[in-house]
Amino acid sequence: MVDILFVEAILYQTLKLVPAILFASLGELVAEKSGVLNLGVEGVMLMAAFTAFDVTYMTGNPWIGILAAILVSLVLGLAFSFFAVNLRVNQVVIGLGLWLFGLGLSDTLYRAFFAVGVTPTVPIIGDMDIPYLSSIPVIGRIFFEQNPLVYISILLIPVVSFFLYKTNLGMKIQAVGENPRAAETMGVDVYKIRYLAVLIGAAFAGVGGAYFTISLLSTFMLNITFGRGFIALAMIYFGKWKPYRIFLPLIIFSFVDSLQLGVQAIGVPIKYFFLNMIPYITIIALIPILGRRAEAPAALMEPYKKGG
Amino acid sequence: MGFNALALAVGILAGLGLVAAIGGDLRLATTSLLLSPISSTYGFAEIFVRVTVLLIMGLGIALGLRAGLWNVGAEGQYIVGSVLAIAAAFYLESVPPPLRIVLMMLAGAAGGLIWIVVPAVLKAKFGANEIIVTLLLNLIASNFLLYALDGPIRGKASFGYLISDILPPELRIPKILPQTRLGLGIVIAAALVIVFYLLSERTSFGLQVRTVGRNQQAARYAGIRIPRIIMLTLLISGAMAGLAGAVHVSGVIFTLDPGYPSGYGFIAIIVAMLGGTSVIGTTIAAVVISYFVVGAEAMQSAAGVPFALVYTMEGIILFSLAAGQYLMTIRKR
Repeated sequence: MVDILFVEAILYQTLKLVPAILFASLGELVAEKSGVLNLGVEGVMLMAAFTAFDVTYMTGNPWIGILAAILVSLVLGLAFSFFAVNLRVNQVVIGLGLWLFGLGLSDTLYRAFFAVGVTPTVPIIGDMDIPYLSSIPVIGRIFFEQNPLVYISILLIPVVSFFLYKTNLGMKIQAVGENPRAAETMGVDVYKIRYLAVLIGAAFAGVGGAYFTISLLSTFMLNITFGRGFIALAMIYFGKWKPYRIFLPLIIFSFVDSLQLGVQAIGVPIKYFFLNMIPYITIIALIPILGRRAEAPAALMEPYKKGG
Repeated sequence: MGFNALALAVGILAGLGLVAAIGGDLRLATTSLLLSPISSTYGFAEIFVRVTVLLIMGLGIALGLRAGLWNVGAEGQYIVGSVLAIAAAFYLESVPPPLRIVLMMLAGAAGGLIWIVVPAVLKAKFGANEIIVTLLLNLIASNFLLYALDGPIRGKASFGYLISDILPPELRIPKILPQTRLGLGIVIAAALVIVFYLLSERTSFGLQVRTVGRNQQAARYAGIRIPRIIMLTLLISGAMAGLAGAVHVSGVIFTLDPGYPSGYGFIAIIVAMLGGTSVIGTTIAAVVISYFVVGAEAMQSAAGVPFALVYTMEGIILFSLAAGQYLMTIRKR
């Protein structure tokens, strides 16, 4: 039963599922490094998924759809920052609020703009074909015939790592997340840095959300991201707030997810809802192994009062 | 309290604005939102049908919050509790009905408890973030419901659909108001308010919970075993959500199908927050929020707007509640 084509399909799908979580995870990592937890990533992704779908439907160009998704995500990020940074409110409350807001509004708008009964589809960003490399048997299909966003998201790991650890701005973000008081004494504008970090997080989550409607699928539906925003948060925790370390737990999750989808597709007589549970159970089971000595930024979820 | 009322008003106004924006009938929406819960006995009783569920869950969530713990998984615990209650109803056939209803309630509480054991242990032993783990377990719970409906609790008369059998009248929680859906569940909820009040205000456990929530360092110096408090608080919180599911399914819905989950687990978080996490506050908040849940559902069906709009309103209410709390802190100074 387990032939090479099945293995190829599973591994191809494993990589293909990566951007759906990785964009949001890397972006939210930057936000959390500054001390702000945006539990509403899922809501941002849902609004982005709808926006990308809607704009692509109107323009016929999925890249413009992504751009629009980023813009909407930035607006949501701005609102979140205002509450979290300026008003210093409980981040869990507004995080849940942002999730419910996005969950509800994305579906409300979809039903308001598109007639019931028909399922409109949009053009998607398809797989690219890297010359020569893609013709290598098996390996070519898995690694060199992927969605461009797969490559972009993976390349963002070293980029985010460089940004956080090697640039002046990145160091400021970390300082603000560890000890905002000390950072302010050194002349860092804590509010500005936190705004920036949350906006980076929102923009990345926007791309991740858009990926659902204009790459993985070509349609929109209620709750289309199906908890992937929450998985993205879990990955940061498993990765101990380090960009490179997010990748291993993420690949494990994507692999198990891809495997269960593959098993469903070839018609193994195990019910889908049973298989659907397996990826989540896997990562919860990994917590005692991967989640030990989690090194969260010291000021995570701690509101900061300027000059106070 | 005044700011919380203001926050609610802002959330509702924003919701009505959205109804208008997407072309719904604004006047019909407003009247059904505000008046339908008080324009008939049935509607009025509906408020307390929701209070029953939201209060039982909200008390548990508020207890967790007093210890600084977020049980965001009440929705999942509620689902599993409902499933186990139905399972108890149809598997424990040898037990006479009145006693079996009691066992159904216990099964529900046990289900909620089982669903929070993992996050509680991971939090107490490994310091794993309970927010993330309880959220993940919600995602598993919705699949668990389908699994149960497909096998263990599938109805004998389900004709291939994922639906359980309907509870026979002798296995339902008795009604207290004829021609409505209001039953003895509200009495259970009221009794739990008293229990939680005494637990919180009259026992050393209540004091320990608050100490852990305010200052872990101080709690440690005071000799409080923090992991034990974390475990107990979360387990109670889970059991309450499971019990709420059992009460709702055996008092109001009588059957399970994939459409059963309705987001009460998340609304209950709003209730606990709005009530300032105190027992009395949570009780008042449960009544206020229930009023608007009933109103919002009436509005949704009358004005022909998508059900998802209710989620949007809940989201906006959470934001305005947060803003209200900010205003309160600056007025104190």
